[in-house]
Amino acid sequence: MTIRLTVNGEERDIAAAPMTPLVDVLRDTLHLTGAKPVCREGFCGACMVLVDAVPTVSCLTPLVLAQGRDVETVEGLTSADSPMPVQAALEEHDAVQCGMCFPGMVVTLTHLTTAGRCEPSREAVKAGLVGNVCRCTGYERIVDAALAVMEDRP
Amino acid sequence: MSEIAERAVQNFRRRDARDKLMGRTRYTIDRGTAGMLHAALLRSEVPSGRILRLDTTAAACMPGVRAIVTAADAPGRAGLGIADHPLFAIDTVRYCGEPIAAVAADSERQARDALAAIEVEIAPLPAVLDMGSALADAAPLVHPGWESYEVLTPGGMRGGNVAWEASVDRGDIDAAFARNDVTVVESSFRVGRQNHLSFEPRAVLAHFEDGRYHIETSTQVPWTVRNTVAALLAVPASSIRVTVPPVGGGFGLKFDCALEPFAALLARMSGRPVRLVNSREEEMTTCLFRENAEICIRSAITPEGSIAGREAVVLMDCGAYGGEQVFLTTMTAHTLGGNYRLGAVRIVSRAVYTNTAPNGAFRACNGVYNTFALERHTDEIAAAIGMAPGEFRRRNVIGDGDLGATGQVFEGDVLAPMLAKMEALRERTPASLPGDGRLYGRATTVGTWFVFTGPSAATVNMNADGTATLVTSGVEIGSGSMMQALPQIVAATLGLSPDKVVVRAADTDAAGYDVGVGGGRTTVSLGAASRSAAIEVRTKLLKVASDMLEASAEDLVMEDGRIDIAGARGSGVTIAEVAARAQALLGPVAGTGSFTGAGTPAMEGCCAGHFIEALDIPVFAVHDCDVAVDPGTGHVEVLRYRVVQDVGRALNPSAIHGQIQGGVVQGLGYALHEEADVGRNGAIRQTSFETYRVPLAGDVVPVEIELHEGAPSIGPLGTKGAGEVPILNVGATIACAVAHATGKQIRELPLTPPRVLELLLDRAQAPDFPHIGSRHSDNRLATGTIA
Amino acid sequence: MPGMLPMTAPSVAMPTSLTEALGALADHGPGAVPLAGGTWIMRSPLRREGFAPAYVGLSRVAELGKINVTPDTIEIGAAVTHARLAEALEGLPEVAALAFAAGNSANPAIRNVATLGGNLCARGFAAADLVPALLCLDALVEVAGASATNRVGLADFLMHRDRLLQGSVLTRMILPRCGRPSAHARLPLRKAGDYPVAIVSMAAGIDGSGRIETSRIAVGSVEPVARRWTALEDALAGQPLDPARASDIARSLTTGFSGREAVEAPGWYRVQVLPTLVGRAVAALASQA
Ligand SMILES: Cc1cc2nc3c(=O)[nH]c(=O)nc-3n(C[C@H](O)[C@H](O)[C@H](O)COP(=O)(O)OP(=O)(O)OC[C@H]3O[C@@H](n4cnc5c(N)ncnc54)[C@H](O)[C@@H]3O)c2cc1C
Ligand code: FES
Ligand code: FES
Repeated sequence: MTIRLTVNGEERDIAAAPMTPLVDVLRDTLHLTGAKPVCREGFCGACMVLVDAVPTVSCLTPLVLAQGRDVETVEGLTSADSPMPVQAALEEHDAVQCGMCFPGMVVTLTHLTTAGRCEPSREAVKAGLVGNVCRCTGYERIVDAALAVMEDRP
Repeated sequence: MSEIAERAVQNFRRRDARDKLMGRTRYTIDRGTAGMLHAALLRSEVPSGRILRLDTTAAACMPGVRAIVTAADAPGRAGLGIADHPLFAIDTVRYCGEPIAAVAADSERQARDALAAIEVEIAPLPAVLDMGSALADAAPLVHPGWESYEVLTPGGMRGGNVAWEASVDRGDIDAAFARNDVTVVESSFRVGRQNHLSFEPRAVLAHFEDGRYHIETSTQVPWTVRNTVAALLAVPASSIRVTVPPVGGGFGLKFDCALEPFAALLARMSGRPVRLVNSREEEMTTCLFRENAEICIRSAITPEGSIAGREAVVLMDCGAYGGEQVFLTTMTAHTLGGNYRLGAVRIVSRAVYTNTAPNGAFRACNGVYNTFALERHTDEIAAAIGMAPGEFRRRNVIGDGDLGATGQVFEGDVLAPMLAKMEALRERTPASLPGDGRLYGRATTVGTWFVFTGPSAATVNMNADGTATLVTSGVEIGSGSMMQALPQIVAATLGLSPDKVVVRAADTDAAGYDVGVGGGRTTVSLGAASRSAAIEVRTKLLKVASDMLEASAEDLVMEDGRIDIAGARGSGVTIAEVAARAQALLGPVAGTGSFTGAGTPAMEGCCAGHFIEALDIPVFAVHDCDVAVDPGTGHVEVLRYRVVQDVGRALNPSAIHGQIQGGVVQGLGYALHEEADVGRNGAIRQTSFETYRVPLAGDVVPVEIELHEGAPSIGPLGTKGAGEVPILNVGATIACAVAHATGKQIRELPLTPPRVLELLLDRAQAPDFPHIGSRHSDNRLATGTIA
Repeated sequence: MPGMLPMTAPSVAMPTSLTEALGALADHGPGAVPLAGGTWIMRSPLRREGFAPAYVGLSRVAELGKINVTPDTIEIGAAVTHARLAEALEGLPEVAALAFAAGNSANPAIRNVATLGGNLCARGFAAADLVPALLCLDALVEVAGASATNRVGLADFLMHRDRLLQGSVLTRMILPRCGRPSAHARLPLRKAGDYPVAIVSMAAGIDGSGRIETSRIAVGSVEPVARRWTALEDALAGQPLDPARASDIARSLTTGFSGREAVEAPGWYRVQVLPTLVGRAVAALASQA
């Protein structure tokens, strides 16, 4: 069975079992290894992608539910070498450590920091990050970076 | 040289951040190669048993299967201190999750299907699942053949289920307790396990090429991997090359050889590259946890409030194999015996075998729970003698010329000025009190840690284009030391900007021996080796430059990529020109450097079984927090958290602040949320992110930080390790604050809401350890036990 | 040991109407089950359950994705996600409990895909947030089978869930609109993000003097299946909206609960915190009233 979906703007036909987790299709078939399968149970957010512009955990998304939809991974957020505002702010805030959580963080924050989505307060940003775990950084710089992006973009 | 140190200090940004943010970094789990096979491990489902039958014939015929290996293919045993650990269970299984066989197949699915086809019959044996049962009279032995194991490091006492015993006896302890004017305070504590939960699981990709193994792996210790794989496979260590891609988190989990030997064996057997990656469940259940421990402390306090004598017994669960715990028994003297001036001291620290998943190293190993116990005990002492806890600490913290537990003489007053700085920091950053019916508490604690020095090697190649390449076996595990501190040190020494220093990823074929990245040693040991390599390059360049400029080398300065005559900027040449000239005249310029610990002495004859008798570089920390406790649910909220940390010299303050925030939050997990324990079936009960709760963004606060500089250190440019220690006294501080808020004795971590509510309801049972004898001597193996 | 995979990959049908969906369930026999957001089903291998032989996807069945608010009732399609539910119910006081439950369970990404139907139909899932919230709102469940469509009270549905869902699809929930304030007090062990270890959902009719006339109180996550706390409902009749008082009354009435032992929390704890959650729910009601 082949399933057609759009990944980072390109239409793809995937020959895989319909219940295959989207994260495995992205990584193993399409070699997009940005999304990380860390918990495979929806808690950590390291596998976050946008499906029709909505942050979605790709570990719990069966391929069949991505059929005909628009999937955007962290690799797709930046076409060229220049970082997006969220990435630039995280870099500027020296937020990155091991980096494993960041592809997912970047996807979540790209969505969260779009105008009108989230009130620019620490508490609101933290509520938006409930599904993104980081084991290294202790979060606060990530929150600082998100707020910086939001304040720059009224 | 002081201008070099000043130049080295800067908030240089890590060069790996951009790719990590763009999802382009390829960790070991992201790597694959043509023809690669996927491996999976068959693991024991019982904690103790005899393997009656193991038949892989049917599995070998399954589709896609290319190789199967078992104990028969890996004859060796390895370990730290004692070689007690085979690659696969040989005849006997000793813990739930112990590998029995490994399969490589075309797909992961086929490998797992083949596991199910392996026929294995195990006759269950009685299991000891906790230290109480392991130390009970007539307990079954986890290693009935313990006496026959090769001892790799002599000195510790061993016997039965006691894998290792380290002890300290300094001064006349009996006399201290026998004084009729002392107050004796006694407390006992228990802590559970902590899982590193590094985001990248242990993972490896192994190749067998031209008669050698090439192992790409997610490790902190490439040389340990090289040597351990060799021992287990019984092949020469020189036949193994280990390289390390960016590591997605370590925290000590990857401070030991892990999956590498399985993949290496399968690669040789199949002639194909083999990848092996732990599932999250395997990571949860077989991670080399921070060990669970049991601690009894007794102190004799004089009427003036000094500590005349201190006695302690610490039991550390090593799980089924000795591993790190054998080594870590060493740390009890320095952590539990740290912080304060002691009259006489008697401490025993025992690593105990149980039929549970082996424990290992975790950031500030051993220190976090001994500091918890010590600081709680200290507050109990203060209460017992009616002194304010802060006052007791101020009077008793270790200072210049004081003796440590093992009799080492400490240099410099460090803790006392740090306590004063903390008081000022508290005043600058007051907490707003809850005012909603929750109980408020606060605490300040102190902690003693160290830098694990040990051997490191470095080479600096000066390139004719004016850049330098630093070659070491150091690994970037996320802390940034390899990306920030090291290039900063080399660059400052050579008068370059740090972005002109290329840092080569670890490769045991390219760089010399290194103990590994952990123990806060990267900046210190690798930094010192890198610095001496850079100094050699500097000397060579200056010599060539002095010929070029017809000036004496002493009159030259290296700065901003140039070598100029002092005081005459622009008078000289660029470093690139000098390097090019040197290359043409003498051949390429390079320097090598190496470093190892100073071997600081302990007092003669007072410790036994210690791998480190005294600390080359002590590191101190003062933590403080305010908490609110919900009396209805037992939830603890951290209102404010403050850290004053002894860093020697802060080369990259931004990086250190990042490490402190991250380390404190991991400590908050240990103190409040993260619970891992062994079920009655012998398996770890928390198998996923669902049941093992780490702090989320909403559970943490920004840590208020002050760095204490200037304490003595043999580290390069006066540095100390800064990444490990931030977790050290978080458990202690939270526990003391919760005790203050609730008025209850805190004897256990983590303080999960159910545990706190139990305390508030007076339903908590104080730990009772029938297997810890009330006389100290009951807890010591008789002299003459096998050493 | 880890990640056991089924021997053959399950098939998935993606019908576009309820009739087709029911037909597909019938075609594939008793092993076939609905697939909604997949957040529960995709974790089956981790629970050692393995996948079902066949799934029937509900996400393209438009009629299951509708929310219909009339003056008397609120009807919510089974395939409505938590996120949409929270958004659609915002500002309707009588369903504040449900809006809060939908908007605060799990985490944002899960709320974007997990559905109402999935939350009610996941077997062995004691901590479901929507269940006690709907119980206190007197919700009716509509179940469509091959031969008939039935409406049953939620408590009955929970009791006979396995039988009712055999070859059937939960199509919608129907909530009467009776203008009573409602609240949902959930207790995760962290600030948020983990399953609640106990839940108290409450709806109450308040008289002119600010006293509780009648109430519906449901308790979730404490026992394997959520249920009403009728003893407390009776005891609170005529009481003021006073959190401390309500909490005290609740304390004397917890003996009927037998808390679930599980890795994340012991059974006694789940029961012990109930009075506190009752106090929180009453405080939330008072702030609405
Ligand atoms: C990280 C994480 C955190 C979570 N935290 C919470 C929490 O705090 N509170 C909470 O309540 N839940 C929580 N959940 C659980 C989550 O709400 C459930 O997984 C979800 O509600 C299931 O919905 P779904 O649409 O994904 O169902 P699916 O996985 O698609 O299905 C679940 C079950 O319901 C059946 N089913 C689904 N729809 C129908 C229907 N219309 N008719 C008949 N049968 C049907 C399926 O056959 C299956 O048996 C969490 C889940 C995750 C992954
Ligand atoms: S891997 Fe998908 S949420 Fe953790
Ligand atoms: S940086 Fe390591 S998990 Fe976030």
